[in-house]
Amino acid sequence: MERLDQLFVLLKKIILQFAESFLPAPLLPFLSILVSITAIAIFAPLTMMYLTWLERKVIGRMQNRFGPNRVGIYGLLQPIADGIKMLTKEDVIPLGADRVTHFLAPVAVVVPSLLLFSVLPFGRNMTAVNLDIGLLFFIAVSSIGTLAIFMGGWASRNKFSLLGAMRAFAQMISYEVPLVLSVVTVVMIVGSLSTEKIVEAQSGWGGLRWFVFTPWGFVGFMLFFICSVSEVNRTPFDIPEGESEIVAGFHTEYSGMKFALFYMAEFLGAFAYSAMAATLFLGGWQGPLLPSWLWFGLKTFCLVFTMIWLRGTFPRFRVDQLMSYAWKFLFPMGLSNILAAGIWYHTPFPLSFIFATWILLLSFIGLSRLNPTGTRLERRTYRFAE
Amino acid sequence: MELFFYLLATLTLLGALGAVLLKNLVHCALSLILFFAGIAGFYILLQAEFIAAVQILIYVGAVATLVLFAIMLTQNVIGETTLKGLGQNRWWALGISLVVITVLVRAIQHQTLPSFLPEGRVTTNEIGHTLVTTYVLPFEVISILLTGAMIGAIVVAMETKKNKQQATGDRRRT
Repeated sequence: MERLDQLFVLLKKIILQFAESFLPAPLLPFLSILVSITAIAIFAPLTMMYLTWLERKVIGRMQNRFGPNRVGIYGLLQPIADGIKMLTKEDVIPLGADRVTHFLAPVAVVVPSLLLFSVLPFGRNMTAVNLDIGLLFFIAVSSIGTLAIFMGGWASRNKFSLLGAMRAFAQMISYEVPLVLSVVTVVMIVGSLSTEKIVEAQSGWGGLRWFVFTPWGFVGFMLFFICSVSEVNRTPFDIPEGESEIVAGFHTEYSGMKFALFYMAEFLGAFAYSAMAATLFLGGWQGPLLPSWLWFGLKTFCLVFTMIWLRGTFPRFRVDQLMSYAWKFLFPMGLSNILAAGIWYHTPFPLSFIFATWILLLSFIGLSRLNPTGTRLERRTYRFAE
Repeated sequence: MELFFYLLATLTLLGALGAVLLKNLVHCALSLILFFAGIAGFYILLQAEFIAAVQILIYVGAVATLVLFAIMLTQNVIGETTLKGLGQNRWWALGISLVVITVLVRAIQHQTLPSFLPEGRVTTNEIGHTLVTTYVLPFEVISILLTGAMIGAIVVAMETKKNKQQATGDRRRT
């Protein structure tokens, strides 16, 4: 059991011991880093490839289709076929485009989303880089992606690209605020920004003492998950690339592998944010019976599946709805959640539960009342249809 | 360590020069971002990871975004004429930068900078504690200043909206 739990850690140890026999000692720390980087560099694109497969399959089933089923059994080789297709496609750069920025944008969008993986605790002792400020690093790095999207949209010299970039900017800035506010509660309770410490703080109750079972944790989890769906531009928050409005948004002018890199960043982001949500609120790798990395994978998979499910279910937000949802609902909810977490921290157990629940319930009901639900639009008049 | 320092320094200086010398405003902003990122690298070399992460979060994530947003909301973003009309302020800019440089150089000359890393790392926990104990007054003052600025911005934005509504005769309130 213990050995199964530490499978990947042992694997790394074996590699290092093997290398010890022929490598000089000063190089060993670098090799240790290299092994972790290689593991992430292999794991991340592989995840991305099979997330595309999963998404197409799941959405297909939800729409009463089969999804990809021609290449390999259950279409399992479809991502590889897609990859080859992407690589052999012509790389088109528009004549008026800003060539250097146009080239740099896909690179700048993938690098931060790969960096996100370095602080994720994939299992017990399985964080690639255990930073003191892991959570802050995650948030800081994920904010770079916005700039890359802007670079892509601006350098294309295309109206739709620029519109998409502006939309992406406005949306990501707005949703980053409640995202950070929801994370603050966890930092308050744990007293550390390290992802490992956050997971350790959720041990107990046979591995089921997850933050999501507390009132502030539940609200924080919901806020974090909604905002993370928005941060990675997935439906119903995909206005930056709304294909019915602005062709394909910021990546309209990208083709071939460069387009695939944008796509990859989106999926890596979706995976990394789901993993972070699992780390912060669902106890990370904590859980009974199964090995730690399997628990982590399962939780992350459930969240990714929910993201796909959302895509198959909801229509796209309008721009004004999107903004008012972030600023008039999620943002005040995040603030009252911080208050609830503070009360939770300072009062003894049964009282804290009651107080926190009441605060959150009241603010939820109040905010839902204050925010108008129905759309008060004028009746449309058609010129030719009536 | 030395090698990293010189690499970073070159990158940062290139970014800074680009921000001043490039012709296209967006290119200027992008190389300014490079400069910000380089500064974050210096913080990491000085073992101040917290400040490095905050540097990325605030300067790359927020300030640069704001700059780019401002550029995008001006006219002719896509065209070549983004720098039109900035040339006439050149002498003013030169004077102001000379003054700033003089002040900075004076300030640095009067300060004896430690040439070694302090013992033990400063943790995030300690930064938080000093922020709400020793430095609570500046912290609160800055908070009030920022709140004031935010309210001011909202007021300005609301007034333009009202004016626009009056101008177009559109009375729908959304």
